[in-house]
Amino acid sequence: MSTRVAINRLATGVPGLDEVLGGGLPEFSFNLIAGPPGCGKTTLAHQMMFALATPERPALFFTVLGEPPLKMLRYQQQFDFFDSDAINQSIRYINLADDTLAGDLDEVLRRIVSEVEAHSPSLVFVDSFRSVVLASQTQDNPNNNLPQFIQQLGMLMTTWQATTFLIGEYFTETDTNPIFTVADGLIWLRQSVERNSMVRKMEIMKMRGQPTLPGLHTFRITTAGIKVFAPAIADLSVEAPPESPIKRLKMGVPALDEMLGGGLPRGYSLLVAGPSGSGKSILAATFLGEGARNGETGVIAVFEQRPSYSQNPRLASLINSGQVGLVDSRAPDLSIDEVVQLLLSEIRRLKATRVVIDSLSGFELALAPTFREDFRESLSRMVTALKGAGVSVLMTSELEDRYTDLRFSPYGTAFMTDAIIVQRYIEVESRLLRIMAVVKVRASAHCNELRQYHIDENGLQIRDMLPDQEGLLGGRPTNRVQDRNTQDIKMFEPGS
Amino acid sequence: MSTRSEESRQIVASLAHRAGSDPDTARIAEAIIAILQDINAALTPIIGQQGVIALYRRSLHLCASTHPRLACTYDNLQASMDLIELKTILVEQDETDAQFFGEMLLTILYDLLTTLIGPSLTARLLSGVYQSSLSDTPSQENSP
Repeated sequence: MSTRVAINRLATGVPGLDEVLGGGLPEFSFNLIAGPPGCGKTTLAHQMMFALATPERPALFFTVLGEPPLKMLRYQQQFDFFDSDAINQSIRYINLADDTLAGDLDEVLRRIVSEVEAHSPSLVFVDSFRSVVLASQTQDNPNNNLPQFIQQLGMLMTTWQATTFLIGEYFTETDTNPIFTVADGLIWLRQSVERNSMVRKMEIMKMRGQPTLPGLHTFRITTAGIKVFAPAIADLSVEAPPESPIKRLKMGVPALDEMLGGGLPRGYSLLVAGPSGSGKSILAATFLGEGARNGETGVIAVFEQRPSYSQNPRLASLINSGQVGLVDSRAPDLSIDEVVQLLLSEIRRLKATRVVIDSLSGFELALAPTFREDFRESLSRMVTALKGAGVSVLMTSELEDRYTDLRFSPYGTAFMTDAIIVQRYIEVESRLLRIMAVVKVRASAHCNELRQYHIDENGLQIRDMLPDQEGLLGGRPTNRVQDRNTQDIKMFEPGS
Repeated sequence: MSTRSEESRQIVASLAHRAGSDPDTARIAEAIIAILQDINAALTPIIGQQGVIALYRRSLHLCASTHPRLACTYDNLQASMDLIELKTILVEQDETDAQFFGEMLLTILYDLLTTLIGPSLTARLLSGVYQSSLSDTPSQENSP
């Protein structure tokens, strides 16, 4: 039997926060919620308080000099988590403005301690702690006994078995501030502004005794409160070794299944790259339709201004019937983690096996500018997360036709996917024709033909190769025989 | 901005209950002051002394502007929440005027708080003030 102390971890009630904290909030910890004005500190505190406080585990919320309590109550009520019935029952507000104005930290401490002794709270909040500090500095003796005050407060709260949150406006985390040292947990909230977009980010700079998820995590504040988008952790247990023999999914276009070597291997990610109008979205919809025909469910994430599903009756009916879940977030300034969360929750809800992302180009535009620099890393994370969920993914990518090189995506992301289909326009006899090829199917034989195809009311129709043409990928194929003759002639041209 | 009739009735009933049957001006004044003290006690811990004083001042102002005849009587009250001063003025009024003022002031204060923090939280915070007084013996009956 272990003789170590077991730290009880409290579920914060803030979606995603427990994951970021590394499993919840350690009981009796002494924490600082810091950040500039308007970043959601008070809201975070309230959301946790309403989730955690019970008559057996009451909370004390000390208001100091920041936001007037009346206003705080007025605005916090707008959130769904606010429950008036809890006030004066499991949650008690205590105003310390007068004690703080006097600037005597000993007196403030005495008041806090006497209230804590009177009510035996399990949760204590001090908002804003910064104003306590500032008030103390207005005395003749600047910063009179701040380190001592914090030290004592931290010690007292822990001994009184209270999980404590100090809420403060701090702008730089590099300040040497005694509170940063004493606190067990440091939760920094930030607002990252780039161009005219604003993204809220959270960082757990410190949380003693547990492995937090490092880095900046985006969060959103809605009427439901704060929602943190913790990065999806790939569940390695799901990523089983490749099935043998490989189980394959039908694409809904029999000739394409043949080209893929019998269909798309299950659990693969497929990139369909092609120029505008080449039929990528139609192929994606056919892929989902074929799944539905076989009793599978799917999820489609669209990022276009005029999503393709609105013009595709088959897809629209699949969405309406609930066989395909739609992730159509028009929220501005999306983060990759938010999209992944939306996708994963929809996949879980529908037990989906097929996922379509239409398109990567639209997705990049939907992301907040601050994430675009890391788009490749983000995509890689998304593909990993989706593979971890065990689904097969089809992603479309808008590809500007460049006839000088064979590119598959503008992001250098081709290596991330297991399979690639490329679509091209070619010019033959004054007509714009479409050709398609399977470029890669990882660990599987596939066809290497460049096949002509066209689109009609039944979808993609794949035809034969164009054996008498060559240079198809250059966009302007030439007749092979004729070209040979020309070449022969050229060889004999004098002076060449 | 009007208190829902239920709350309004509760305030009037509570005031009448505290003042006892057939009260004189002094009893009415005491009842008003007692309720204001209870409100003060209920709200000060939460919104601070300054917050309560601000609510009281605003309620007095609204009371005087809604009922101009009250303006001249109560206009000269101190900016602080001086209940002794208020009582001194109240006892100089006749019963009807004092009662009317009390009902107006308390209703307006309740209204004001409702517009700021909503009906359910207002009811929650002031429940001790208006509900307990209906079940308790009027404090005035115990006083000498």
